[in-house]
Amino acid sequence: MQLKRMYKSFIVGAGFTVLSSFTDSTGIVNNSAIKMPYKKYGYSERQAAARLLDRFTFGAKPGQIDEVLKMGIDQWMEQQLEGTLPDSDLTQRFNNYETLALDNETIVNTYMNAGQVVRFAAKHGLIDRDTAKGDNKKEYQETVRQLMLKEGFKPIVQLQSELINQKIIRAAYSNNQLHELLTDFWFNHFNVSLTKPQCQQYILTYERDAIRPNVTGNFETILEATAKHPAMLEYLDNANSVSNNNSVANKRGNAFVDRQMKQKADEMMATNPTGAEILNKTIQARKVQGLNENYAREIMELHTMGVDAGYTQEDVTSVARALTGWSVRPMIKDAPGRNLYERAGKENLEKRGFVMEGDFLFRADKHDDSVKMILGKAFPENGGYKEGKEVIHLLATSPATAQFICKKLATRFVSDTPSVSLVNHMATTFQKTNGNIKSVLITMVNDPAFWNQKIAREKIKSPFELVISTVRATNADVQQPFQLYNWCNKMGQKIYFYQAPTGFPDRAAYWINTGALLNRMNFGLAFASQKIPGVKFDLMALNNNHEPESPDQALVVYSKILLPERDQAANIQRLSAMVRDNSVADKINQAAEKNSPPPANEMMNEGMMNRNEKGNKSNKEKASKEKEVLGRKNKPITMQYLAGNNTMVAQVTGIIIGSPEFQRK
Amino acid sequence: MTNRRAFMKSGAMALFATGIAGGIPSFIAKAANSAKSNYLFKKNKTLVCIFQRGAMDGLMAVSPYADPNLKIMRPTLYMSPAQTEGKQFDLDGRFGLHPSFESLYPFFGDKRMAIVHGVGSPNNTRSHFDAQDYMESGTPFSKGTPSGWLNRAVGLMGHDATPFRAVSLTSAMPRSLYGDNEAVAINNLQDFAIQMRGNPMTANMAAGSFEELYDQTSNNILNKAGKESFDALKMLNVNNIKNYQPVAGVVYPSSPLGNSLKQIAVLIKMNIGVEVAFAESGGWDTHFNQGAANGTFARNAKDFSDSIAAFWNDLAAYQDDVTVMTMTEFGRTAAQNGTGGTDHGRASCLFVLGNDVQGGKVYQNIGSLAEESLEDGRDLPVSTDFRSVFSSVANGHLQINNNGVLFPKWDGRGIGIMR
Repeated sequence: MQLKRMYKSFIVGAGFTVLSSFTDSTGIVNNSAIKMPYKKYGYSERQAAARLLDRFTFGAKPGQIDEVLKMGIDQWMEQQLEGTLPDSDLTQRFNNYETLALDNETIVNTYMNAGQVVRFAAKHGLIDRDTAKGDNKKEYQETVRQLMLKEGFKPIVQLQSELINQKIIRAAYSNNQLHELLTDFWFNHFNVSLTKPQCQQYILTYERDAIRPNVTGNFETILEATAKHPAMLEYLDNANSVSNNNSVANKRGNAFVDRQMKQKADEMMATNPTGAEILNKTIQARKVQGLNENYAREIMELHTMGVDAGYTQEDVTSVARALTGWSVRPMIKDAPGRNLYERAGKENLEKRGFVMEGDFLFRADKHDDSVKMILGKAFPENGGYKEGKEVIHLLATSPATAQFICKKLATRFVSDTPSVSLVNHMATTFQKTNGNIKSVLITMVNDPAFWNQKIAREKIKSPFELVISTVRATNADVQQPFQLYNWCNKMGQKIYFYQAPTGFPDRAAYWINTGALLNRMNFGLAFASQKIPGVKFDLMALNNNHEPESPDQALVVYSKILLPERDQAANIQRLSAMVRDNSVADKINQAAEKNSPPPANEMMNEGMMNRNEKGNKSNKEKASKEKEVLGRKNKPITMQYLAGNNTMVAQVTGIIIGSPEFQRK
Repeated sequence: MTNRRAFMKSGAMALFATGIAGGIPSFIAKAANSAKSNYLFKKNKTLVCIFQRGAMDGLMAVSPYADPNLKIMRPTLYMSPAQTEGKQFDLDGRFGLHPSFESLYPFFGDKRMAIVHGVGSPNNTRSHFDAQDYMESGTPFSKGTPSGWLNRAVGLMGHDATPFRAVSLTSAMPRSLYGDNEAVAINNLQDFAIQMRGNPMTANMAAGSFEELYDQTSNNILNKAGKESFDALKMLNVNNIKNYQPVAGVVYPSSPLGNSLKQIAVLIKMNIGVEVAFAESGGWDTHFNQGAANGTFARNAKDFSDSIAAFWNDLAAYQDDVTVMTMTEFGRTAAQNGTGGTDHGRASCLFVLGNDVQGGKVYQNIGSLAEESLEDGRDLPVSTDFRSVFSSVANGHLQINNNGVLFPKWDGRGIGIMR
């Protein structure tokens, strides 16, 4: 049924139906129409716009609902799926960034990772027994740093912080919000991590070149782009997975090299036994050099079919064998092997079955040439590079993959537990369109399940989403994005550092727990009171420079600004009782007279106690008894203690940001 | 409410005694009337679980070095007590302990640490994610189990609890503690407050508002976590944590595991009712160049070992009440792979440390490592179900005895490693 709707083109409604054309790899032109059934499920156009902004941006900006309505919500959706709006604001904000446009070769030869730094230090005679022991560590580090800078190298932390900062800036300010969301989604799906030194230098180009351009294209394209990118090849070890079942290598290189090394080791035995031992160990290591099935397992389990798709350990091993030789072009200057490749020349290498594509290198001499059986399909011997391509195609087009990917997309955009029918509809589109992600997303927003009111606000923002939605809702100007990264980290999401290939789990229960929740509240307070360095905004401007006259009014006004189109009446009522307290003016003055405030925690606890008293009269007696035991005084604290309404508005805003409603989307 | 009252009896005095009574949790205030007198604090037992994420190579940690197959399958990774450099500690003439576990070795010697080898799950998945899920839920064939085994364990204890009964010193709540019983997850205890730099008054006000809002929200997850947060927060004075000094001579590694265990020690010493504590150790997924006496594995093992040893020594006065158990989702291939590492396998080993442990012994049913005896011709087979170890430790140390609830659909038996 979904399909019928998709192919039913030329429904030119009064601006509510948008046609989009694309050509899939088979050359067939598909038309799919955005036709969202929100009215049928009880949404006004305004509410529908709010919902789309909630799910397909990092948060609505003030006034953005009106913009969407003006354009028409179908057109807005189409525009976001296209993702080609100009982003001059970003260009300007990235003015001082040095790394964003660099290629891998420049990066690895400029921003050395830990291993390179050690080799660099060793080469310059800066490492001795003392430094190895850790004495003079600071001195050693400083010497190495100076020499690095002198020789034109730069610290890798710069590369990493620009990577982190650009993500925050893009999420906050890009006009192509859905493409940023999808970049976040696919990066997390094909996760790589800064925790692994072998891949950390490649992550910037991975996101830029393998992920971002492919987020709404065909699934197989993004799968292959990640499979061939140095970041993934290093992260899941495939770059080092090689085979000895190789006719080329056995005939030519290996045996010869081994013989040479053995001869050399024997010669050395008399004069340099340690050196000989090392050489012998190397020979031994070369012999056992071979298969690593890390990537093969994860491409099946996490990237395509899912763990329950019924493949076997035998399948995993065979996929690993099919991908042997998928590797990275040696890029580090004076790295062993680099000259070898350059001398051999691309043409000669290609004649021997090697493939060089950008920084991807297929090493024909390390590929397993023998026959394989994968998921019931036979792969004849000498399959070479094409064999791996075929395996990727096989995985990308498996029905299990359609289900797995669509469920993950629905989980991201609809609900932690998406309905079976929604996933099935999306999977049908996936299979009919050669895995076209844009078409799958259109099926999703056209589906009744997307508009089910019962699950409208059941997704919980990740810490990153919380932070960015706050920036957007307040029109904040972020000059120091790294400060926001630190807050994400505190709330449980250290972006780019998730170690496991699963990526961050996408479900509420993962993000919400005791510690993380308190930090979310603290974030709200710190942000609203402008205590986060390098993040500025103007609360008054959000309300047309109109100053609310009372805490009550501030609550109403700023709830509307920060949480548009949400029913806030109950929350406002609850809160207003707390922010308004007329009986304690004198006590406030007493408190104000105190010169040095007691430690935060103590104050906190007393505040809590007072509140309990107010809230529950029957507890009052008990509570004051407790206080006597503790020998503490009663010090009520209310909103009015705070001097100036600006502080009052900031506090109200902080409470709204830290409130349960603002955590939901 | 009976729960709260029982806590009042057992725990409230402790708050006063340890000087952390900065505030009074609402439930204590509520219970104050009904509790006629304050009983002395009843000491509770604490089980500390450490999950080694990524699958520790059990054959390198505790090597059956006497098996000739091992040396053949691991040309560069093989180690033994016989070698001159980086030699292993000989445990019993058959198994050798990796030298990086040096700081734990004395506990094996004085029979307080036991090692169980060949441990794993009957489900042969080699997926980290699934295997961790199965081990932590305690149900190796059912993914839908909503609760974790440690959450069920605290539910079985039959006495009342404080908000800190089940704590995890991790940034996310571990699967092991999912469930109906209250549990706290926090990476850094010092974050445990509503704070606002330079403005404690405002923080107070806000805290009251937040508590009210989270109490009322219709979202169950937010509601539950909110309640637990505020209950726990009222019991903890972050200043005590800031100024914490371990026992003289004890130095915790400044690693994530070291920090977690240090904070668990703080909570145990505060007597605020910790009965199950959870921590994690990462980096065990050694596919690539894992090294032997030195290298990735050795570094991880040293951090792991030094962290636990520091924790144990720091708890000198509390050791009778604490048991530490480690776990990992599966082991690694018996043979090394082509890149100097090991791939995902089946059985691994684990450590149990405590004064009520019958230690000084490697508990195992491991056969030969000849190819025909390996699972799928490649992995150390699982000869001890992880549930027989977990249940033994939980039954023995926490005094719970309903394995039908602890590990549903399992009719196996414990292995009796507790005194």
